[in-house]
Parts: sequence; C-alpha cells; structure tokens
Amino acid sequence: MSGWAQFKAIVRKDLIRELRTRDMLVSMILFVLLAMVIFHWAFTVKGQTDLTYFTGGMLWVTFIFAMLLGLNRSFAQEKDEHCLDGLLLCPVDRVTIFLAKTVGNLVFLLIIQAVAVPVFALFFIERSLIGDLPPFLVVLLLADIGICSLGTLLATISMNTRSRDLLLPILFLPLIVPLLVAATSATTLVFADGAGFGTVASRILFILGFDAVFLVAAWGTYDFAIGE
Amino acid sequence: MSDEHDRQDGAGPLEIEVEGLRKSFGRRDVLKGVSFCVPRGGFLSIFGPNGAGKTTTLRVLATLLAASGGSVKVAGHDVREDPMPVRRAIGFISHNAMLYPDLTAQENLRFYADMYGVEDREARITELLERLELSARRYDVVRTYSKGMRQRLAIARAVLHRPRVLLLDEPHSGLDPRAVDILDGLLTEIRDEHTFVMVTHNIAKGLEWGTDLMIIEGGRIAYEHAAGVDHESFSAVYREHVHDGSVM
Repeated sequence: MSGWAQFKAIVRKDLIRELRTRDMLVSMILFVLLAMVIFHWAFTVKGQTDLTYFTGGMLWVTFIFAMLLGLNRSFAQEKDEHCLDGLLLCPVDRVTIFLAKTVGNLVFLLIIQAVAVPVFALFFIERSLIGDLPPFLVVLLLADIGICSLGTLLATISMNTRSRDLLLPILFLPLIVPLLVAATSATTLVFADGAGFGTVASRILFILGFDAVFLVAAWGTYDFAIGE
Repeated sequence: MSDEHDRQDGAGPLEIEVEGLRKSFGRRDVLKGVSFCVPRGGFLSIFGPNGAGKTTTLRVLATLLAASGGSVKVAGHDVREDPMPVRRAIGFISHNAMLYPDLTAQENLRFYADMYGVEDREARITELLERLELSARRYDVVRTYSKGMRQRLAIARAVLHRPRVLLLDEPHSGLDPRAVDILDGLLTEIRDEHTFVMVTHNIAKGLEWGTDLMIIEGGRIAYEHAAGVDHESFSAVYREHVHDGSVM
C-alpha cells in the first residue's frame, strides 16, 4: 500500500464524516458569523467609523478561535470511539496521519473562510477588494497552513490528556502569536493601504518560515505525539 | 528471519516471542518481566483478574503501546524496531469496535481496506459482510447498529487484510448468543490458518479454544499449561493463583 493511498483514505474519511454530521463546520460557521455581527455593532455604536485598520485583527482573531473549536472536535471522535487505536493498528507512517489530518483541517478552515470573508467585506470594507485579493489570498493560505499544522500537532498531543479541551488553547494560543501578528499586519496593510506583494513580502516570508518550522517539528515528533 | 526459528520442543516456528516484557505507566509497574512464546498456528488463552496486565500485554504485541523493557517479536519482527510488518501481520479484535459511527459499514471497511492496501477490496468486503450476516445493513451508518452487529463488523475490520496473527481482547464481551455463534463459527473457519492470542475472563471459551493456557496476576505469569485441562481443575487453579478468585 502506498502512503498516498493511505493519505487519501484518511482525508476522504474525515470529509465524509464531517459533511454527514457537520458538527465541526456548523459550530465554526456560527461562531464566525456571530463574531462578525458583534464586531460590527460594537464598532458602529456611535455612528460610522473607519474600521479598515482593525480589519486584519478582527479577521484573524475570529479565524483562530473558530479553528480552536474545530481542532477540539477533529480528534474527539477518533479518541472517544477508540477509532484512533484502529488507525494506529494500520501499517501507516505516522507522518501520513499528520499530513492527512492537517489537510482535513485546512479544508474545513478554507470552507469557513469562504463563507466568512465575503460577510466580513460586506460589514467592514467600503471599497472593492478585487485588486487586493492576490496578496490577501497568499497570506490567507500560508497562514492557514501554519495554523492547521501547529493546531493538528497540538490537538494530537492534548487528545491524550484528561483535560484536552483546556490544554489545547493553553498550548496553541501562545505559539500561534508570531504567525498571527504577521498575518494580521499583512492583511491590514493589504485592506487598508492596498499594499501589494512587495510591501508584505517580509511578512509572507516570515509566515513561510513559521510553516516550515512547525511542519518539520511535526515530522520529527508526530510518532511520539500520537503514541501513548 | 526469526520467524523461521524453531521451538526447542520441535512444535514448529514461533509466531510470537516475548522475553522479559516490562511495562510501566509512570511509577506503576504493570508488567514485571513476562516471557512466553506462541508457535505458528497456536492459540494462547490468557486469563487473569482486572488490572493484571493482560490487555497491556496484548497492546504491546499490537504495537499500540511501547514496552518499557524486554523484547517482543511478532511474525519474526521486533515490535519496536520494525513495527510496520507487525501491523500488517496482525488483526486486533477488542470489545471496542474501533469503527467510525457516522460512516456506513461499507465506508468503514473501505477505509480500512485502503489503509491496509487490500487489492480485492470490494470482493473481500462483500464476502465478509455476507459471512457476518451484515449485507442487508451495509449502507447504514454504524451508529444505528446494535452492540452485536458492531462487534461482527469489528471482526470483519480485523480480518479484512487476512492477518497471520489475531489478537483477541475479550471478544465475546457484550455479545448476544447469535453474535457469539457467528464469532465462534468464524474462528472455527480460520482457526487453522492463524495464530491467536486471546485475553478473556470467560474460562469456558478460553479452554475451548486454547492450545496453551496462561494466568497473569500482578504483572507476572502465575500459571502456564498446555491445553487439556478440564474446566473444574482449571477453575481451582485459577482460584489458587488469583486473589479475587472469581471465575466465569
């Protein structure tokens, strides 16, 4: 059997399960929409305010907390139904499990963002975003890879603990801050100033480095992380 | 390869070799130097009270737990140094079905078939579902199954890739009589082609199937014997070696 076939099998299984139950997606979408509505009413309570310099922060804080909801769910069933044992009994490289779980989480995050970004633009951006989309989408995709790789690694570690719902945010939030800062400032520069690739290049490189560090860290430690 | 190693008594090549197995969880020593071997085609029944270390032994054999000391070989491969061939060689049936409740029976089996690289996937799934009397429910999600049906599907999951060694952890636990019959029928069919290790509290079943019997108590082997012991004698031995002494 090939690692690629096993990778596809795990991703397919997670997608089928989630599209059938929607227990991750529904809670994540509801959270994102609720956060948008609250931000909108909170910032416009005294009439029209220019929010363009808040956009990056609002967007990424919302995504991070929505992803925390999803990460907790993504391993809950594997553990609760002892399916993780079934998965670990299979002759599959543990890194393949990590990559498949990361890609599954990435797909769910992208689905959330496909719903959230248009709503966000409607509420908070007063000009057309068409020209800003290429740098924004690059920042979005690279930051998502970092969020999902770090999140999947930490969700795996916390899954084996008694207080997994508490441990995941305690581990995840401090470690994701550097990526969050880079993604937030890049997004704000794009939305507020119409910055192009040249302006946000250093931030994109930083996010790329972050992704590489945690992908390599997961590569080296996942066998231990997913074990006993 | 060591799977060609012959037993000293000439009973055939060894499929499972455990030497001085130790396992600790923190400061708690669960296994304190367990040694045994099972020849190819053998059936080892392991008895013992709760917490004796039976399931831990099975989980180390299955590569689900790392040993703290000693050596364990399954199908000629060290479970720590070379776990992939071990995983290909074993099937694990537990009282936990290890099935995804929101997938159908067919989707569950397809997933595991892909993970094991089963080449005749659809034919094999159909064959097993028919054999286990689950064909009519193959498109239903597992969440809607009874405990007995889930356990039957768990058997299909475990034997899907035609393993050489079957590890059974309380396989009869929670089964209705019909499911027990089906499980026993399947075990009878595949008995000659496989090596088995079964952990059980059910002395009647353990004696019925076992070619070798073992009692683990407090992380150590308290008793070992070849099959041929009657229920009454073995129950007496069990009470003698196990402090709580309750037998089924």
